[in-house]
Amino acid sequence: MIGLKLEDVSVAGRLNSLNLEVEAGKLVGLIGPNGSGKSTLLSVAAGLLPGGGTVEWNGDNLDEIDPLERGRKAAWVPQDALFSFGFSVRSVLAHGRFAHGDDGRGIDEALERMDLISLADRPVNELSGGERHRVLLARAMVTNAPLHLWDEPLGPLDPRHALKVLALADDLKRSGHTVIMSLHDLRVAYYLDEVVVLSQGDLKAVGRPHDVLTPELLLEVFGVKADFVSSLILKLP
Amino acid sequence: MKTWLRDHAMWIASGGLVVAMLASLGIGDMPLSLDRIWAGLWKEDEMASIVLWQIRVPRMLVAIEIGAALAASGVVMQAYFRNSLASPGLLGVSSGGAAGAVIAIGAGWAAVSFYILPFMAIVGAFSATLAVVGLARQGASTERLLLAGVALNALLGAVTSYVLSDFTLSYERNAQIIFWLLGGLEDRNWDHVLMATPVVLCAALLWPLGRSMDLLSLGATEAQSLGVNVRVLRRKMLALSTVMTALATAVAGTVGFVGLVVPHIFRLMIGPEHKRLVPISIIGGATFVLACDLIGRSMGGIRLGIVTAALGGPFFLWMLRRRS
Repeated sequence: MIGLKLEDVSVAGRLNSLNLEVEAGKLVGLIGPNGSGKSTLLSVAAGLLPGGGTVEWNGDNLDEIDPLERGRKAAWVPQDALFSFGFSVRSVLAHGRFAHGDDGRGIDEALERMDLISLADRPVNELSGGERHRVLLARAMVTNAPLHLWDEPLGPLDPRHALKVLALADDLKRSGHTVIMSLHDLRVAYYLDEVVVLSQGDLKAVGRPHDVLTPELLLEVFGVKADFVSSLILKLP
Repeated sequence: MKTWLRDHAMWIASGGLVVAMLASLGIGDMPLSLDRIWAGLWKEDEMASIVLWQIRVPRMLVAIEIGAALAASGVVMQAYFRNSLASPGLLGVSSGGAAGAVIAIGAGWAAVSFYILPFMAIVGAFSATLAVVGLARQGASTERLLLAGVALNALLGAVTSYVLSDFTLSYERNAQIIFWLLGGLEDRNWDHVLMATPVVLCAALLWPLGRSMDLLSLGATEAQSLGVNVRVLRRKMLALSTVMTALATAVAGTVGFVGLVVPHIFRLMIGPEHKRLVPISIIGGATFVLACDLIGRSMGGIRLGIVTAALGGPFFLWMLRRRS
């Protein structure tokens, strides 16, 4: 089954008539230099930015999904969120259940999973950037949506929490969810099922990381020379 | 302390409203004790009954209606613009309502039918709302929002001044116009109570939107991703807040700062969740206007708009300082 299908989506100056199919239950990385269109692609895929063409979630055309249903079917995590008012962390997670009738399910589990128990009653606008980001990821987890679209989830996180987010993504995948995340750390990309490489709004390559991320492609897309050497490996205890 | 305040805020606000209502009925040129208020309300004390039913009860009800309307309108605008400095007065929506009312009086339309004045206030307020939405988009910075409000208030002030400067206006019409500009509850009667009654319906329609407003205050994109129909919600919010501001202006003129001060105080007390913030601001707004009216009355008849501005102005400056 196809978890996400994009057909002929374009955004002027940012995405050029792009086609993409991602199989359901996969963990996929979206990589490319700054300005290559990663965030734009995720916004179009989430139905938050009009991109013409066709967007399908698990076989359903996005145009035919009503707004409330969208909140149940896809979870979008922005690069950052500026909270104007001091909602508590617990309240922000509860927003993830809005489309489920505010039933409050899964909030405690998500707080624990993202190390947010001690921050649960703190106003979210008083948290650090990394802590705020964990709140956004925990809220995505609370939605229990089959499709997850995360924009640079690892960017502001310390190593431990970056590993926890990768473990969460892996668990979601194992339970049948599709997770698509944009990344800058190419070393992480090798742990994913598939990578999608973007450059200047064009799709350069799609496939398994070891097949796609060749030194030639990295030089062409990122302008960097790649050497494969052993390096520091971090794991959760 | 904060948890205790949060848990008991609704009781405190409701108690404050009851006290303010009783004070509003009892204090005046003819002071009335609780016993006489009771007897007057049941028409067992003829003198008290006349004072209450012809003067103080309608004045109190108008104060409650406009206080509730302006505070609720402030909450909605703050969620819409994601900015706690947004309010009907600062953004020019109240001035739009007043300009509509002033045009209706100046042109003599208000004398034709009782309902032309509120209608024109609504038209003026909607025009101002559309202008401010265009000038300061959702999520706009404080500076942009306030500058949009300054520009709009100046423009609408010019419209009002133009009508006032029309030398063909009679003394009576000029006096009526000055009433709108100062804002007040003098001589408000049952017709005015009736005119502002739709604010009760607006408040009732606003209540179920509380949860969606929480999400919209995170940003339109986030709200949409979480399942909110942002376009429909925004339309409802703008329509309800504008109608409430317009009706408040139509019955009492320009009364500033209520929509700014009241939601801000309660947000500090109980947090930003709109399901609680909307009803408590409605109660608090009514109490605030009643209290300001009492202050004005006890100081020899200072107009309501002057009292709310005298209290709200320093509060606004404190908020600005706190934010910086």
